[in-house]
Amino acid sequence: MMKQVNIQFPLRMLALLFGLFLSVGAFAQIDVKGHVKDATGEPIIGATVRVDGTQTATVTDFDGNFVLKANQDANITVTYIGYQPQTVKAAPTVEVILQDDAAVLNEVVVIGYGAVKKSDLTGSVAALKPDAKNKGLVVNPQDMLSGKVAGVNIVTNDGAPGAGAQIRVRGGSSLNASNDPLIVIDGLAMDNEGVKGLSNALSMINPQDIESFNVLKDASATAIYGSRGSNGVIIITTKKGRNGMKPTVTYSGSMTISAKKSTIDVMNGDEYRDFIKNMYGVKNADGQFLTNAEGQYVDTDGNTILPIYALGTANTDWQNEIYRTAVSHDHNVTIAGALKNLPYRASVGYTDQEGILKTTDFQRVTAALNLNPSFMDNHLTMNLNAKGMYAKTRYAEMAAISSAVFFDPTQSPYGFTSQYHKDLLGDKLDQTLRNFNGYFQWPVAADYDKDTTWPYTVNGVASMPNPLSLLYGRNEHANSRSFIGSADIDYKVHGFEDLRLHLTLGADVSEGKQYRNEQPWYPKSIYYGNWGDEKILKRNLQLSTYAQYYHDFNDQLKNHIDVMAGYEWQHFWRDEKSDYCGYYPSTSPRWIDPMSINPETNMPYGNAVNERPHTPYHFRTDSYLVSFFGRANYSLLDRYMLTFTLRNDGSSRFKEHWALFPSLALAWKINEEPFLKNVEALSDLKLRLSYGKTGQQAGAVPDYSWIATYTKNKGTDSYYPVAGDGLLYRPDNYTPELKWETTTTYNIGLDWGLFNQRLTGTVDVYYRKTTDLLNYAPTLALSAYRNQSWQNIGSLENKGIEATISWKAIQNKDFYWTIDYNFTYNHNEITDLNGVSSDGSPVPQTKDVKIGVDRYLEYQQVGHPINSFLVFQQAYDQNGKPIENAVVDRNGDGIITQADKYFYKSPAPPVTMGLASRMEYKDWDFGFSLRASIGNYVYNNIEQGMANVSPTEVWKSSLLYMNNYTHEAIGRNWQTYQITSQLSDFYVHNASFLKCDNITLGYSFSDLFKKLNGRVYGTVSNVFTITKYKGLDPEVANGFDSNMYPRPISFILGVNLSL
Amino acid sequence: MKKFIKNIMPIATGLALVFGATSCVKDLDVDPLDPNMSTEVSAEGLFNKCYANIAMAGNGGANGDCDIDGIDGGTSGFIRQMWNSNELPTDEAINGWGDDGIEQSCFNTYDESHPMLNGYFARLTTGITYCNQYLNIAADYDATMTAEVRFLRALDYYLLMDAFGRVPFSETLAKPVIMSRQEIYSWLEEELLTNIEPNLSAAAPKKSSDSGYGRVDKAAAWILLSRLYLNAEVYTGTAQWAKAAEYAKKVIDSAYKLNTTSVNGWSAYQMLFMGDNGESAASVEAIFPILQDGLTTTSWGTSQFLCAGNFDSDMHANPNDPNGTNGLSGQVWGGNRTRPSLIQKFFPNLDAPQVPSYEMVVAAGDDRAIFDGVGRELNNLDRATFKNGYAVAKFINYKSDGSSGHDATFMDADFFFLRAAEAYLAYAEALTRANGGKATAEAVNAINAVRARAHATQKTSYSLDDILDEWAREFYFEGRRRVDLIRFGKFGGNSDYKWQWKGGTYAGRNFDTYRNIYAIPASQLPTYDNVQNPGY
Repeated sequence: MMKQVNIQFPLRMLALLFGLFLSVGAFAQIDVKGHVKDATGEPIIGATVRVDGTQTATVTDFDGNFVLKANQDANITVTYIGYQPQTVKAAPTVEVILQDDAAVLNEVVVIGYGAVKKSDLTGSVAALKPDAKNKGLVVNPQDMLSGKVAGVNIVTNDGAPGAGAQIRVRGGSSLNASNDPLIVIDGLAMDNEGVKGLSNALSMINPQDIESFNVLKDASATAIYGSRGSNGVIIITTKKGRNGMKPTVTYSGSMTISAKKSTIDVMNGDEYRDFIKNMYGVKNADGQFLTNAEGQYVDTDGNTILPIYALGTANTDWQNEIYRTAVSHDHNVTIAGALKNLPYRASVGYTDQEGILKTTDFQRVTAALNLNPSFMDNHLTMNLNAKGMYAKTRYAEMAAISSAVFFDPTQSPYGFTSQYHKDLLGDKLDQTLRNFNGYFQWPVAADYDKDTTWPYTVNGVASMPNPLSLLYGRNEHANSRSFIGSADIDYKVHGFEDLRLHLTLGADVSEGKQYRNEQPWYPKSIYYGNWGDEKILKRNLQLSTYAQYYHDFNDQLKNHIDVMAGYEWQHFWRDEKSDYCGYYPSTSPRWIDPMSINPETNMPYGNAVNERPHTPYHFRTDSYLVSFFGRANYSLLDRYMLTFTLRNDGSSRFKEHWALFPSLALAWKINEEPFLKNVEALSDLKLRLSYGKTGQQAGAVPDYSWIATYTKNKGTDSYYPVAGDGLLYRPDNYTPELKWETTTTYNIGLDWGLFNQRLTGTVDVYYRKTTDLLNYAPTLALSAYRNQSWQNIGSLENKGIEATISWKAIQNKDFYWTIDYNFTYNHNEITDLNGVSSDGSPVPQTKDVKIGVDRYLEYQQVGHPINSFLVFQQAYDQNGKPIENAVVDRNGDGIITQADKYFYKSPAPPVTMGLASRMEYKDWDFGFSLRASIGNYVYNNIEQGMANVSPTEVWKSSLLYMNNYTHEAIGRNWQTYQITSQLSDFYVHNASFLKCDNITLGYSFSDLFKKLNGRVYGTVSNVFTITKYKGLDPEVANGFDSNMYPRPISFILGVNLSL
Repeated sequence: MKKFIKNIMPIATGLALVFGATSCVKDLDVDPLDPNMSTEVSAEGLFNKCYANIAMAGNGGANGDCDIDGIDGGTSGFIRQMWNSNELPTDEAINGWGDDGIEQSCFNTYDESHPMLNGYFARLTTGITYCNQYLNIAADYDATMTAEVRFLRALDYYLLMDAFGRVPFSETLAKPVIMSRQEIYSWLEEELLTNIEPNLSAAAPKKSSDSGYGRVDKAAAWILLSRLYLNAEVYTGTAQWAKAAEYAKKVIDSAYKLNTTSVNGWSAYQMLFMGDNGESAASVEAIFPILQDGLTTTSWGTSQFLCAGNFDSDMHANPNDPNGTNGLSGQVWGGNRTRPSLIQKFFPNLDAPQVPSYEMVVAAGDDRAIFDGVGRELNNLDRATFKNGYAVAKFINYKSDGSSGHDATFMDADFFFLRAAEAYLAYAEALTRANGGKATAEAVNAINAVRARAHATQKTSYSLDDILDEWAREFYFEGRRRVDLIRFGKFGGNSDYKWQWKGGTYAGRNFDTYRNIYAIPASQLPTYDNVQNPGY
């Protein structure tokens, strides 16, 4: 079995550590041929073999073999991460068996602007090397992190191909500014503004190229990122070639079949026909429905009953119609090796992910090249990265999803089957059907400037359009390109090797262009259609440089210092353009033949004369971040460690550019103390304490908000021509007093390990308080040009506990079993909103959670978590059944008013857990991942939207259409639709869940056709969900379940090959 | 040590080079790249914006951005919120939408957290800041334009005072002082008389093709003064009937006239509310038209709201276009309806037939009774049932010459915020009140002039109650009813006048006088040192 562990960092650190003591010797030499294997007999690839006291070194090859020259009596030391170093005497043939070390302790962890041995860490940093074998459906790198790291909660937006995710580290520190963590890819700090088609910075890299994730959580770790550290930092390191590595070609590919898991339980066509007949039909004394001679249902006056008359003859399962079984595939080819001193790795990847909602898909091509040569006796090392990506995403009108739930199941997808529609449309039926491209729609008389070819149009005021027409009438897709390039240059000063100089240059250039083409029959832009595009280009540049001085005093007290100081400059530049336009059809009286001659210019008009009013949009912005930072580590006796970091950030977004972010941390390796040294079982026990301040402003403060400016009018439709040409200049509100939000974090952590690290774990307890929250809050009238603006007011806090346990349950030659478990508890509470809410009344979250135009559900209030539900309390009868249209008069004043609302739960789960396990028996491996979320609540808006089944609601007489309902709503049979009952806690449900993210079974083989190694596997992804929540999926990031693209279950068959 | 220095020097030099980039610290002092932004301003552009605040939600047409926050952009329109504030709580209008605030307005249960009233407050105060900015940086640009911006600011302050009582006052971008109604009344009177009226251009009606159409002249100052004086007793406790009459008379004697021209069967009154009202003879009455154009000046909150908000797809306002509704395509939102008390002003016995609007005016014997009753109930039995209540078909986008609008979705019809007819009724009411409640001959003539234009029967005497009813007949759904009812003591407090759902019951009941003034929006209480209006 192959061990795939990166040795890039160990090499660099080893060079750093031992380079000083190496000197050149010249004696009679012999060729040493050797083989390195582990205790189970597996060859170890890439182990470093070094002749002691010389600079002669090599690395074992793919079969664990090495050859080097050494003096006859020299000592040869073999090191490899995760194993205890082994020293043997030089001989023509040697065999080295490396023993498992308390290995992870020596693992190198990437922190900001450097790397440290895990054992020397003082901060809370979670390192994750993605488990290559136990993984589910991975399209975006976020999928590899989900459920794997304590304190990191990832909720994918939905099941759409290429979808982004909400990533929260320790609950998020902001109320209204961004809560997304900072993402650093190979030393480049990304901005978190996506471009069209790229949901976040993570989506720019192929997950297969990722070597490791390091999540920085406490201030000791994140403060080096200063103003961007408050929401945690995720550092991604991509894979590299290794010195001395033989060229290796690997291929990994997979095929995925995805399908919807379940649908909303609405009536089928026959049930619906019965329901409508029973609701509106009139019965005679015998209980028979009244009908006329033609068999139509009539009232006592002999008039046909419209709703029954309008029923179609079909049995359409709309939810079946819009979904499909999707087939996806994924291919990656990598070549890695070393050309003399030039280790390289190149990879290309292709992903084609089909969505289960018809028409949606995602295609991506990635290419990555890494070169990391070293020169001048390893004094100068370079790490050059280029990553390119091209992606194409096809989106769908998401309203198709809810429309498919609500749409009348008796109507055929195509054509009019009801007698009512045939009679209504009469001889215009064929014309109307052509205008609708053959799709059924609820028709209504049209008036398009007296265009006689459009006698009817789609009843768009309140009804849902035909879901299929929503999917096929619009083609909206994004083409996105991104390039991330970085060059790391590290120079160890000749003659003064304790000092390293480091330079990183990087660029992130991304472009996304989204096209939309809505046919004239597309119901949401019926008649005129809509065409256009939107383009976003961003160019971010970074220069960072630092000097690091590192010295081991080798004295009795084992004094050791490590000081780093650096400078960074970043420029974020962004340009956005969009223009969407409808056209007058050629049948419109307003249409002008583009070829006809304009008498004023004597030129043809051109098609622009047929454009409807539109608003071309152009926006451009930039910002700079200039920083100075430093870190000092000091350790004593290898037991007591201290880290101090400081960053001074200057941002162009604030008038007062500069702010300081310090942190301090202490660590104590308790197990190294004499009184514990003899406790054999205890292999690690370290206590960490940290304190620090970090900042945050992303997602809130616009780039130039401190400068007094005016905004001009946009588009063709906003002129006010009372003076001059009618241009408008609006004074922009500006806020020179704004500054960063500040989060102060206290952290206590304990790392422990037992039985030679067979059982390891960490526990962290933290308290984070964010002050000067960036809130978009009311201004005092007349003292600002806008009635709300960004202001630094309010505070909130997060308290939490994180724990991880990792257990290598079985470890022998044939059988290997690991179990990893993590637990997170986070309590979030708003502690001050003074100024946002002047009188202490709750402040609504108006962004995305609302019913109608302005009925909000989630509010902010002191003493409650962010986005808590503020709802009425449902009243229940003695049998525990909810009483229709009855909510509790909580303040007892006799009337139901807003004052009777109360805070009831919130969408964020206080507790999340993850469990992953992998077993390997001989050539077989089996793994699974479980993830649990406890205490998250969801408002079921689909259920709410169907609550009223009164006759006037089912058939909207003024709008002439009808909707489907769930069996549950029909059973409840409610007849009212009051705001108070819409905003009732009745629809807020406990959506705790346990999900099985994936189960994998794999078989590895080697030496197939002589040299071919590899593995085949089958995986089921999103296997099952255990929950009491009755909606389709309890995992809803914002707590508002409405119209979500369902997450599919996927079956994956894959193969990895290496040559 | 030497070696140390030897080694450290080149390093230091190298570092210094890299840190030479430290001049990049200057990068932090950015200049905006955004092409929509400008650190410079054109006086005309800012002048236009001061006007546009009344006409459009923001700087990007109907669907673009919005100048104010916390309220839906389309809902935030100046006219729309003035209408909601002054029509929904009265005997004229009711609305069935579920938007937060509608029911509270219809049932007179509004409070400090009313989203639309808060939006109205913000729209008015934001407008004041634009005017203040103009006056601070461009007051010397053009004396007439300066007077116009002062007028717009005065209008904002007037409406703010009328709706919310005390107002925050500032002439610069600064923390305001709070003025009582008496104080702001005095300021308004002084401002209009001293700084505005003398500097405005001469009163002269214009058509949209004339330059200056859409801008205010002396007549606007007179009519606002007249309105201020007419309501002076409400605002200050001291009546000013003579002054109200004086300034109304200036308008009546000016070149602004009641439109009496009818075209193609459209009545002279109807022509005031049509797609070509800026182009047709109707413009002779337009003292302050708020411009709208289906292509170039669009909004969901001005005439669009007044038209589409009242229409449903079953209504047909043009007898020559039986399939059309209001001259637009698909703009039928159907929420606003009349309360029967408005219909009763035209049909005292509530026997209004269920006919289209063009037949209703015939049945009423009054061109102004532009109501649609087809398939509708007169009573507002259920607020949320859109057919409960006759609909108003007064605002339409048909053009009197039969041509099409510029666009099928957005209105061309301008909204006559101030029109000459107000002067006639204000004059009549002021004279009558000064005369102890008995209409003088001049008052009777003024009312008859308005009625004659509408082909309504003329009478020889009018009581004060008749005058209140005449205000409704002439100006219903134009956004002023609440003010008239308060002046006549028929809004909050003990009153013999009730309408359906007044105070929240179907039969109607009185509500407290304090509700004549709206609550200071909760978010604005700090501006007021946390002193709320009494009662809330």
